[in-house]
Amino acid sequence: MTKPSPKEVKAMTDVAGVPATPEIAERIANSIGPAFEGFAPVAGTLPFDLEPASFLLVQTAKVSI
Amino acid sequence: MSTEPALMSLVAVAKAIASKEVSSREVTRACLHRIAEWQPRLNAFMAIEAEAALAAADAADAALAKGNARGPLHGVPLAHKDMYYDAGKVVTCGSLIRRDFVATTTSTALQRLKDAGTIRLGSLQMVEFAYGPTGHNAHYGAVRNPWNVDHITGGSSSGSGSAVAARLTFAALGSDTGGSIRMPAHFCGVTGLKTTVGRVSRAGAMPLSQSLDTVGPLAQSAEDCALLLGLMAGADPEDPTASALPVPDYMAATKGSMKGLRIGVPTAFYVDDLDGEVARVLDETMATLKKEGAEIVKVELPDQRQLTSACQLVLATEAAAFHKRWMIERPQDYGAQVLMRLQNGLAIPAVSYLEAMRWRGPALAAYLAAVAGTDAVLVPVGPVPAPTIAESDVGNSPNAEAVIQRLTRFTRPVNYLGLPSLAIPCGFTRSGLPVGMQLIGRSFDEAMLLRIGAAFQRATDYHQRVPKAA
Repeated sequence: MTKPSPKEVKAMTDVAGVPATPEIAERIANSIGPAFEGFAPVAGTLPFDLEPASFLLVQTAKVSI
Repeated sequence: MSTEPALMSLVAVAKAIASKEVSSREVTRACLHRIAEWQPRLNAFMAIEAEAALAAADAADAALAKGNARGPLHGVPLAHKDMYYDAGKVVTCGSLIRRDFVATTTSTALQRLKDAGTIRLGSLQMVEFAYGPTGHNAHYGAVRNPWNVDHITGGSSSGSGSAVAARLTFAALGSDTGGSIRMPAHFCGVTGLKTTVGRVSRAGAMPLSQSLDTVGPLAQSAEDCALLLGLMAGADPEDPTASALPVPDYMAATKGSMKGLRIGVPTAFYVDDLDGEVARVLDETMATLKKEGAEIVKVELPDQRQLTSACQLVLATEAAAFHKRWMIERPQDYGAQVLMRLQNGLAIPAVSYLEAMRWRGPALAAYLAAVAGTDAVLVPVGPVPAPTIAESDVGNSPNAEAVIQRLTRFTRPVNYLGLPSLAIPCGFTRSGLPVGMQLIGRSFDEAMLLRIGAAFQRATDYHQRVPKAA
């Protein structure tokens, strides 16, 4: 996963219905960039059958994934 | 007048009222006296309801005289973060947008405390919509740290931390989505419990992130937190995400010792980039835990930076979704920093958000495997003691997010994993600012954290120290 560029951020905010100016889009890209970089080792590696609700099962110690 | 009753712990004052050693009116007057003295300097309260509180105290005293105690907190005056709906009361959520919002329902957590007999002192300040870790608020001003009013309280439960530290309320509800209970507990020198996701109902509590939001108390001690959690926890028909798991006897848990317990200390991440005084307090805390019979063992945790990043992706997306309508209709009514952070969530693709959500199960399983054989993990709450208000007032500057992320880097992994964490005062800097540590437990094992916290507080007095009025 790569962090979105300011141009991509601008497009996403337009689609979301809350358009950002180019300046705000650049600021957003810089702000959230580190989160994308930090999550990059996980992104795109999760197994097909992994259900989001597995969290609840692990929380109550019913499964070990 | 004497304000001595206001200095008592929650457990002690509840017992004193029940045994008629002191009246609810005397206690309420003592709190109101301290509020009048401190509020101009701290800005901890959003609303002070002195007359109503005294009338409720009189009613509580009259009921007690007739043998009609409502519950274990009969006649105890409290104030809470201004995001808990209380039918008929204005609940601002620290915002301009909800400045005049009158709740039509009462939050389950608050109702359960009312059912136990508490009375309302007013409401406490908070960061706008609970979205920020410093305690700044563009609309209502910064809340100040009673240990040094030039320093921040931490947020977002800023008023809760400040008011409990200054003994203006015996305890206060906070909320913790990214560190918002533990950060003020650390900076203000009080005890704060971030509960397991699902342990306490969120019905009637202002939402920020449906996957991460938790309700919990800030109070003087672990024992006080145990009393409050026991009253609030449990299933709730109004909140299907509230767990139906049995609620343990948390007060009984606080009587246990640390003998034979194993406390893990991470070898990386939580020891990086630590302020020297925080590192010193961490070392002293470990020495105390050992002296009390605990065994300190090193643990190697999975990469915590990935958890922090995943937390940010989830929080930003969910917060943006909650606020989208107002971001379109009333952007001018947000503070600049809060609007800036809400805008961040607009630029996270749905697939990235869902990947972060799907990874929660495996990430929690990996964490639990890494800490197997320990009863809790000890880490700092933050890398530094409370910064000054001036140096942390970054507004919506280009480096604002970096400043925020640095402050909360040790708290966010716990939120992503949905784990409980108890922040306890463990020492002071040479300049007199408090330093807290967090004990991280297993899902729904708040009892173990309260046991360790209470045992630590029987061996130390940091939680009993009270800031002096200037």
